Amino acid sequence: MAALLELSGVSVRFAGLQALSGVNLSARGGEVRAVIGPNGAGKTTLFNAISGYVPIEQGSIALGGKPIHGLTPHQIAARGVRRTFQNGGLFPELTALENVLAGLHSRIDAGFAGILFGTRAARAAEREAVQRARALLELLGVSHLADRVVKEMSGGQQRTIEIVRAVAAEPPLLLLDEPAVGLAPPVRTQLVGLIRRLAGEMGIAVLLIEHAMELVMAAADAIAVLNGGAKIAEGPPAAIRNDPAVLEAYLGHA
Amino acid sequence: MFALQLALSGLAQGAIYALVALSMCVVYRATTVVNFGHGDLVMAGAFVLYLLAVLAGLPFLAGALAAVALLFLLGVAIEVGLIERIKAGPHIGFALMCIAFGYVLRGIARGVWGREVLPMPRVFDFPPLVLGELVVTGDALAVFGVVGVLLALFFLLFYRSSAGRVMQAVCQSERGAALVGINVRAFHGVMWGAGAALGAAGGVLVAPITLLHPGLGAIFLIKGFAAMTLGGFGSLGGAVAGGLILGVAEQLVGGYVSTKLIDITAYLVIILVLALRPSGLFGRAIAERV
Amino acid sequence: MRFYLLPLAACAIPLAANPYTQFVVNLMLVYILVAVGFNLVLGNLGQLAFANTALFGIGAYAAAMLMAHAGWPFWAAIVPAGLAGAAAGFLASVTALRGIRVYYLAIVTLAFGELLRWTYIHGEAATGGTDGLAVPKADFFGIALDSETARFYAFLLIVTVMVKAVSNLLRSKIGRAIVAIRDNELASASLAIPTGRYIVAAFVLSGFVVGVAGSLFAVLIGRVIPESFGLIELILHFAMVLVGGLGSLTGSILGAVALTALPEYFRRFPGLYEMFFGGLLIVFLLAQPRGLAALAARWWPALRERYYREN
Repeated sequence: MAALLELSGVSVRFAGLQALSGVNLSARGGEVRAVIGPNGAGKTTLFNAISGYVPIEQGSIALGGKPIHGLTPHQIAARGVRRTFQNGGLFPELTALENVLAGLHSRIDAGFAGILFGTRAARAAEREAVQRARALLELLGVSHLADRVVKEMSGGQQRTIEIVRAVAAEPPLLLLDEPAVGLAPPVRTQLVGLIRRLAGEMGIAVLLIEHAMELVMAAADAIAVLNGGAKIAEGPPAAIRNDPAVLEAYLGHA
Repeated sequence: MFALQLALSGLAQGAIYALVALSMCVVYRATTVVNFGHGDLVMAGAFVLYLLAVLAGLPFLAGALAAVALLFLLGVAIEVGLIERIKAGPHIGFALMCIAFGYVLRGIARGVWGREVLPMPRVFDFPPLVLGELVVTGDALAVFGVVGVLLALFFLLFYRSSAGRVMQAVCQSERGAALVGINVRAFHGVMWGAGAALGAAGGVLVAPITLLHPGLGAIFLIKGFAAMTLGGFGSLGGAVAGGLILGVAEQLVGGYVSTKLIDITAYLVIILVLALRPSGLFGRAIAERV
Repeated sequence: MRFYLLPLAACAIPLAANPYTQFVVNLMLVYILVAVGFNLVLGNLGQLAFANTALFGIGAYAAAMLMAHAGWPFWAAIVPAGLAGAAAGFLASVTALRGIRVYYLAIVTLAFGELLRWTYIHGEAATGGTDGLAVPKADFFGIALDSETARFYAFLLIVTVMVKAVSNLLRSKIGRAIVAIRDNELASASLAIPTGRYIVAAFVLSGFVVGVAGSLFAVLIGRVIPESFGLIELILHFAMVLVGGLGSLTGSILGAVALTALPEYFRRFPGLYEMFFGGLLIVFLLAQPRGLAALAARWWPALRERYYREN
């Protein structure tokens, strides 16, 4: 299957630091590809470059064959890229349902005039979105959280809601930035199951940044390793586990 | 020559604006809070001076020093008593708090002052300096002198002393500064006090040469913002430069176009700068729009 | 439909109120609209903006000038007043989008506001300068609004329609987008929400609502003067929104009703007005930052601000 996302020779520089140099990476629908590496290796920068929050110095990023580097974040999102954020990107004052509805924003077919005058068509579109959002929360096992305000939830619950919000519009590409941080082991197991369902059942191309190795090994179909802004290895989990360059990168970084 | 004369009186005004803008910038850089009540603190400085000098009969210098000291304490009190208390709330809370105490100060001033506009007796009784066709008034000389000294002291302190290094450290990174043992909370309090005191110095200088009224605060706020915007928001040197340029621009506009426009020059500067060059003259590059 | 219960019940007020009380109630209606409009930007969008009195003023002046100079009837001047406010809101927000938005929006709106007031003062023939403009008798689709009661029903109709419209907008993808930007702008962009567009939209909407409120104010007071739209008035607007509840439509109404009648008590003593409202803001910021609406929602959870409809 042709790659959905294709990064070629991507370099990013800011504040005098070469954050990424000559990175090649691809992502395919239905596949979970993990991006790992020591702290400061450039993983989040990679996500920021793909989603448009950081400009690239060199190289190209293509989605479905069309270049997306240089576009603004919301333009890139409009083309089907969704992400979660390392420090949590939910809207704290809103409920889980409202957060997921925000994720459906681009899918709700109601115009300004329709909403303003409360036309039947606009109200139908909104109602449908609410049903869709509730169904999605149900599908992913968190419908009991629907009407709770997000800032009152636990970290694990928040991470799940953020993922639900990110997949609400059925994006072909999903970037998950350290979704397991602060989660207890049983919740992590659930997270692995969720990630595999996103790829397997929904056919999403998932890029995953994670430090928790067991989670990576269990969830990923392929792993790319970054160190110092460059990709030093890539392959199936078993191969990466024993790769000397990878061990060097982690151990050598004491 | 007309232009030069205008520029000279503009510089004198601008020196006050520079002081006000610098004091606002100091508080912003040190605590990341933009004090929307800052203009009213400046007005409070002038007001306290008026009370001490006119109603209590203190000589100008004593009154000025006392006013600055009192405003320092007020700045600290506001930071510790009000600003710190709402650290956990929404960001807009800080701004509203600053606006609120600004109004309280204005209300107190109006309550004591009544509805009048009050003049202070003349203080700067130096003979004017005559350079060929240019005249530099005694007022202007005094303002230049004092502001010049204050600015020199401030920048020396900020860049050369150990206290200044502490300031720079906290401005750069609060967490880093806390890690090396700097008491960040005390620092915030002190910097608010310092900002208030510097602002009060401006108020004290302007008091004898302007008609005082409680609404002065809003005027100082706008001039301070205009100066900061012009010089580049967040840049200390830019605030000073912006203030001076604004002062000159006002006089030139007033002299060549219409005196009615002097009042709104600051507003036009703000809008023009944002339309043409948002980062101002010396500001850091503006972050990309998301 | 439940929404209309309150306005319907309110129709009975003139039966019990004397003209002065009725005037205060009419003023409350005006300020409900002011608070609702201001809250859109301050509470829902979460941006500090100082332009509200300017928007209020531009609506009032637009209506007054159309009625006094061009002879337009009141009902025809309402939408233009709103559009004037919307245009001002648009200009302010578009200018400020270019800078470090958080502070520049505040600064630019302050500049715009004072600039507008300057034009009212120096507009001589058009605006009547510092003496202002007298507002001619208001004609509401043929009915002369020459009593407080007549004005009440006209205002009630206009305010009800506008508040319902704002409620429709808030409880939709539009409202969600606006608060999403407030809560996390970067994340909003990641959901394909065009943030710049919605920021401007919020300001335009706010301007329209407050502009319309201005037209009502002009008719109620009978005269528009620059002094009514300065920084002294602004603290009242801030107080209503904060005391009522930032981001809450119910809160805007509560805040307006609670505070409208108060300024009258402070007019005699110079300075007391500023001290009171400044102090009120401080007290609420320290003790009840989410306003009266949050207090009310604790007893009636149904009052909690919702950004969708279930029906």
